[in-house]
Amino acid sequence: MSVLISLKNVSKHYGDFCAVKRIDLSIIEGEVLCIIGPSGSGKSTLIRCINYLEEYDDKGIITVNGITVKKGNNLKNIRKEVAMVFQNFNLFPHLNILKNVMLGPIRSLKVSQSSAKKLAYDLLGKVGIRDQANKFPYQLSGGQQQRVAIARALAMKPKVILFDEPTSSLDPEMVSEVLDVIKELAGTGVTMVIVTHEMSFARQVADKIIFMDEGIIVEEGSPDQIFDDSKKERTQIFLKSVLKA
Amino acid sequence: MLLLPMDLYSKDNSNSNIVVGANIGNVPWEFQDSDGSYIGFEVDLVSRVGEKLKRKIKIINIPFNGLFAAVQSGRIDLAISSINITDKRLESVSFTQPYYDSDQSLTVLNNSKIKNLYDLKGKIVAVDTGSTGDIWATENNEKYEFAEIRRYEGLVPAMLDLVIGRVAGYISDIPALLYYTKDKPNLAVVERISTGGTYSMMLRKNNSLLFEVNDVLIEMKSSGELNELHKKWFGKFAAKNSSTIKILDIPKSSGKLNLNLTETFLNKRVFLETYPMLIKGFYITIQLGLLSILLGLIWGLLLSLIRLYSNTLLRFVVKTYINVFRSIPLLVFLIIVFYAFPFVGIRFSPFNAALFSLVIVSGAYFAEIFRSGIEAIPKGQFEAAKALGLSPYHTMVDIILPQAIKIVIPPLTNNCINVLKDTALASIVALPDLLKQATQAQAIAANPTPLIVSAFIYLIFLLPMILWVSRIEKKYRSGKQL
Repeated sequence: MSVLISLKNVSKHYGDFCAVKRIDLSIIEGEVLCIIGPSGSGKSTLIRCINYLEEYDDKGIITVNGITVKKGNNLKNIRKEVAMVFQNFNLFPHLNILKNVMLGPIRSLKVSQSSAKKLAYDLLGKVGIRDQANKFPYQLSGGQQQRVAIARALAMKPKVILFDEPTSSLDPEMVSEVLDVIKELAGTGVTMVIVTHEMSFARQVADKIIFMDEGIIVEEGSPDQIFDDSKKERTQIFLKSVLKA
Repeated sequence: MLLLPMDLYSKDNSNSNIVVGANIGNVPWEFQDSDGSYIGFEVDLVSRVGEKLKRKIKIINIPFNGLFAAVQSGRIDLAISSINITDKRLESVSFTQPYYDSDQSLTVLNNSKIKNLYDLKGKIVAVDTGSTGDIWATENNEKYEFAEIRRYEGLVPAMLDLVIGRVAGYISDIPALLYYTKDKPNLAVVERISTGGTYSMMLRKNNSLLFEVNDVLIEMKSSGELNELHKKWFGKFAAKNSSTIKILDIPKSSGKLNLNLTETFLNKRVFLETYPMLIKGFYITIQLGLLSILLGLIWGLLLSLIRLYSNTLLRFVVKTYINVFRSIPLLVFLIIVFYAFPFVGIRFSPFNAALFSLVIVSGAYFAEIFRSGIEAIPKGQFEAAKALGLSPYHTMVDIILPQAIKIVIPPLTNNCINVLKDTALASIVALPDLLKQATQAQAIAANPTPLIVSAFIYLIFLLPMILWVSRIEKKYRSGKQL
């Protein structure tokens, strides 16, 4: 049980506005961590700091696998270890599904064309859309596109995958096909950090849950601790409001 | 030169003005004095014609090689500009009897080693587009083995290039050059080239004004008035046997006396004679156009990337560059590059000057187009590329540019069309492109057919591109997936 990602005193300011306030957090290898909380609570900003899509303030420090996440050459190595799945999929519209998955390994991992292709087909099979390999993103449903995005992330053979609200842009009937794929991954030992509004999914898949509000971690614990035995009033109010619906 | 057919064949109204076209700046025949009024031998001559015919004279300034089309279209009634009578010209226009005997001459820098025409072997020689000097130099090119005959729009730009050293000599009418060089010790007329030219006034075929003007010439010759004019402008009387003294016949028109509309503007004989010249010009236009587009695209892309992603200082520099070159008319910049750069030691050939100007100016437009395309790509695309660990280079080449360029294909193509059209401006720096070849051909043949044909060549070449762009634009507007 070694610590894979460590955040110490991490803050993020947008001008005067502080989105993330002095966060300390350790993520253990193989762990599935779900981050919940109201909109604007800093969840997405926090995970975007981990692969440096957001530049966090200088006082803090994030390390991934012992490497400090800061501007410079190391960033390339960190992004090889840290994959990301976005709310809006962000597939490359001018490339077909196969090439979307192949690009990362070829460019960043210097994998040969043929083995990248084999890998891509395997992963597309794993997420259940191998037969769509030659189509373009716009020809696929939202759920299918997000599954391609997951395959694209997996193709980097990352130590950790960051999921930034992976089902928030989907039509309701497509949410489950994506969550099912993520659940399957949870069993494979890959570390995952998932920002989500799907409470029952979080409860089912997570080893640990973090509740964030106004840029700070209000409470953290096992799913049972958070959902059944919360110690903080803010957590209870939030859970009451989302579970009622 | 566009005009209405009605205008073209309207009857001469003897009470109206006589509109005279003249290439102002052609000393001592027609030029401006210090307060801007037109003076000169031929200006005096036409004013006397106006007095005798009791009609007002209105002089308009038209470049030499534009006079032929202007006469034939009826835009002007009469052309002056030390125009030589030639057989070719007589096929398309009429001349009064001549009033001055002239030859060609070679002018060089006083300190140059060139003392005669044979010294010009392997050197570049300047002439006026479509002039007698041009015709003579072209016919005698083999004998003297000039490296190139470079064609200018009149004496001033040719002289500028002679002084800069871009050309080794200038072949033009001797009276003008003797007059021009008399107060310029750095220039010397070193050789008289006897071509036996005679100057006359040019009119449209079958214009009855011809006989009225010719009668005035007879009167002025017999009264000695014309000889007085000679004394006034050249400091001495004319030779006894010269056409300034002797009363002569009106030169006989060869060919048909009256050309109809198609024979004037789409003359088959002129077309067959001049189209090889036009094809040569078209080849240069294409070369210049395609090379300018290629380099302009690369330069523009580079500028757009600097503008978007470099440090503050470079960004400011590029932004200023883009704004400056989108504000300067290309023609003005081209003239600066060609005529002013040599004074700081940069001496481009006409082709390179045109290429440089086109790339520098079109690059500014291309840069803005590329920038708009790149900025239209959603932020998520950049983030996805970053998250995959792609380098900035591969992010651009693999992800952003393929999408951005697709978006801006219509404006890019429009700008390419503009560059191709703008190559025509290069004729101002004596580049023998399609337009230049056409102007030269029409001046030699004294017939506007080559200009019309060149317009058709531009059209045939550019119209398919225009149609293609509109189709693509329509497709994009209909919201099809990119």
